[in-house]
Amino acid sequence: MDLRFTEQQEILKKSARDFLTKECPKAKVRELEHDAKGYDPVLWQKMADLGWLGFNIPEEYEGMGYSFEDLAVHVEEVGRNILPGPYLSTVVNTFAIVEAGTDEIKKELLSKISYGKCILTLAWLEENGQFDAAGITLKAAHKGNDFVLNGTKMFVDGAHVADYMIVVARTKESANHEDGVTLFVVDAKASGVKSTVIPTIAHDHLCEVVFKDVTAPAKNVLGKVDKGWETLQMIIRKGSILKAAESLGGLQSVVEMTVAYSKERVQYDRPIGAFQALQHKMADMWIAMGTSKYLLYEAAWMESNGIPNAKEASMTKAYINEAYKLVAALGVKLHGGIGTSYDHDAPLFFRRAKAADTVFGSTDYHRELVAQHIGLK
Amino acid sequence: MDFKLTDAQKAHRDEVFKVCAELDKKKPKTWVGFESQFDDEVGWAFHKLCAKEFAKRGWLALGWPKEYGGIGDMMDKVLFQEARGYYDLPGADIFGVAMLAPTLLAAGSEELKRELLPKIANAEWMFCELWSEPNAGSDLAGLTATAIRKGDEFIVNGQKTWSTGAHFADWAFGVYKSDPNAKKHHNMTFILSDMKSPGITVKSIPYMSGSHVYNEVYLDDVRMSAKYIVGQENEGWAVVNVLAGFERSNLDMVYGLVRGIEELVEFCNETKRNGRPLSQDPIVRNRIADVSSSLEAVRCLAYRVADQQNRNEMGLMDAAAVKIFASELMEKYGHLAADILGPYGQVKNSPWAKMGGTVEYTYQGCFVPIVSMGTNEIQRNIIAWYGLGLPRMK
Ligand SMILES: Cc1cc2nc3c(=O)[nH]c(=O)nc-3n(C[C@H](O)[C@H](O)[C@H](O)COP(=O)(O)OP(=O)(O)OC[C@H]3O[C@@H](n4cnc5c(N)ncnc54)[C@H](O)[C@@H]3O)c2cc1C
Repeated sequence: MDLRFTEQQEILKKSARDFLTKECPKAKVRELEHDAKGYDPVLWQKMADLGWLGFNIPEEYEGMGYSFEDLAVHVEEVGRNILPGPYLSTVVNTFAIVEAGTDEIKKELLSKISYGKCILTLAWLEENGQFDAAGITLKAAHKGNDFVLNGTKMFVDGAHVADYMIVVARTKESANHEDGVTLFVVDAKASGVKSTVIPTIAHDHLCEVVFKDVTAPAKNVLGKVDKGWETLQMIIRKGSILKAAESLGGLQSVVEMTVAYSKERVQYDRPIGAFQALQHKMADMWIAMGTSKYLLYEAAWMESNGIPNAKEASMTKAYINEAYKLVAALGVKLHGGIGTSYDHDAPLFFRRAKAADTVFGSTDYHRELVAQHIGLK
Repeated sequence: MDFKLTDAQKAHRDEVFKVCAELDKKKPKTWVGFESQFDDEVGWAFHKLCAKEFAKRGWLALGWPKEYGGIGDMMDKVLFQEARGYYDLPGADIFGVAMLAPTLLAAGSEELKRELLPKIANAEWMFCELWSEPNAGSDLAGLTATAIRKGDEFIVNGQKTWSTGAHFADWAFGVYKSDPNAKKHHNMTFILSDMKSPGITVKSIPYMSGSHVYNEVYLDDVRMSAKYIVGQENEGWAVVNVLAGFERSNLDMVYGLVRGIEELVEFCNETKRNGRPLSQDPIVRNRIADVSSSLEAVRCLAYRVADQQNRNEMGLMDAAAVKIFASELMEKYGHLAADILGPYGQVKNSPWAKMGGTVEYTYQGCFVPIVSMGTNEIQRNIIAWYGLGLPRMK
């Protein structure tokens, strides 16, 4: 066993940190919260130039072909800074194209994604707010060789700026809800698609997307018709690990920022970090950070090496969801009044921690999966 | 011991709930939570409307001595708070009614009581609190804004911060260093002043949710009349402590949770997940039952505090306990409700929101009572040092 980062990973971390510190300061993060698009196209292009959008695209499609573990390490660094916009959505859904797309779709989309010319997102959840297969009710009806989609999706990240959406639709009713789910690659600008931004705690531009008689050709089916739930599980598994990596990055920022502030801020003639009431809380924050890290790295390493890890992925997502929220709330409290103001970074992470917890499955959802994996009948 | 309400108390309770239910129907659409009154002109207008309705019935003077226009006792006041809290209504100025009035009754001169209590009872003047400074928060006694006496006036200079509602308030109560040579805790004066005085600049500090409730207040050669000193000159610290006790035992926010839980229960009864109503999920049942039990516990403690106040014996420790417990219960409720709402827990007041966006609001809003009024760490110190007699940090 060797739990150090590789040299390549150290380089990835450093370059991500340097780049975002310079290109995406927190003032810009806050500005983009209230921007109509919610992301900066110029920054997106620079990221593409650095290869960020092609990390997980095979070299034959003009990507970098990095390992999943490397990608997780990179995303952690991105989360440390906060990067507004559908970056993680694009990267995660790229996996679906790579692993389940037809050759035609791969040729059409992958190099575009890699060059920063195509934003992807996942249209999964619905108004029922459910994460399980029973929640999928958006109808895709056969029409000749094509399919026609009708229904509403909720909480779709950046749908209003996306080029393509992977839509999770129902093509067949059956007693087993997992049977009859199909994934489609749908042009996000097609007629009949209407995306509206929902106001949320993190102003992260999640959308309601209404589909009205939207046509999807058969070539745009990802994987097999009616058997899309399995592909979705792959997206959720990888997405959970990467979202947890992003959260872990944010969590670390909060710990560092809070410890540093407690050494500077003076009340009662001493740094507030001298109060044991705060020291113990910061020790707890540090423990949450350490436990989160290696849980995540294990899940990412398994994913990278093709070792079955559905259980570990769910454990990681559920655990880090809660760790991040706990640490972020303490971060606010330990800063005192200043930690509650919009212009401070502590609440920025606090709001993001809340937003992160239902992406790719909530704590409750993943804990239920863990319960099944560990043999609870 | 007797928890039963008297017939008169029951009648009063029915009356306050009836009036509050009517006012609830007039709430602006943009209203989400307990501090929406400061959000904008619409919120403030609704605050004033409620205040007039309450003033008309004498309810802003509940528990005051009769000679100052008071009616009822502290228990009647609690029942009124319960109704107001339940319907999440403003109208009882947190600074004037809940804090300054009882402080004046305890420590104000006869002249000040005669002049100011009617203004508070009739909802003519709304107050704000000018205490905290950028470098004097928890350690309030370390404040540096100065009030230099010149004849019948003080010339006040400095910066105050976090002042809730200062952008709407008519008057302020503040504390300033008035004797640079005296010892700590004997060098400050507690003074009331007109917020329209020349030299006052108010600047927003947006809360994490983006709303404008709090402010920086800059004081530049502001003239304050010595007539408006509360307590003794240079002995403002004693007044600060009296007022802080009333501030912390203010329980409005707890009562809001009563309705919050009712709405959550309703949501769980009506919403199906995994083929059955959420209300039948054992985890959901367990967690809501837990928060409900804590809420009942703090309601009982609130009755206890009111009962004590009726006998003029409110302990520092009980006030601190209520403040900690109530604020952390609000946090716990916010997290619970957000978990249950799933992805809807993050949605702001909008057509997509469940429960009117109150969950997203509370999820962030809980830091207001946790951090303000003296942080919960400071309250725990108070319990440990003054209450439990544990050795004090040097
Ligand atoms: C929403 C809001 C509304 C407010 N409204 C008003 C208002 O209307 N008027 C007004 O005057 N003020 C108001 N305040 C100010 C409030 O009283 C202070 O924010 C509070 O007392 C904390 O001070 P601080 O912000 O300077 O934090 P600090 O005192 O710097 O505290 C930072 C951290 O150190 C901890 N700490 C400090 N000392 C100790 C100790 N001895 N032991 C253990 N831990 C300690 C604190 O608990 C906190 O976690 C408001 C604050 C907020 C957040």
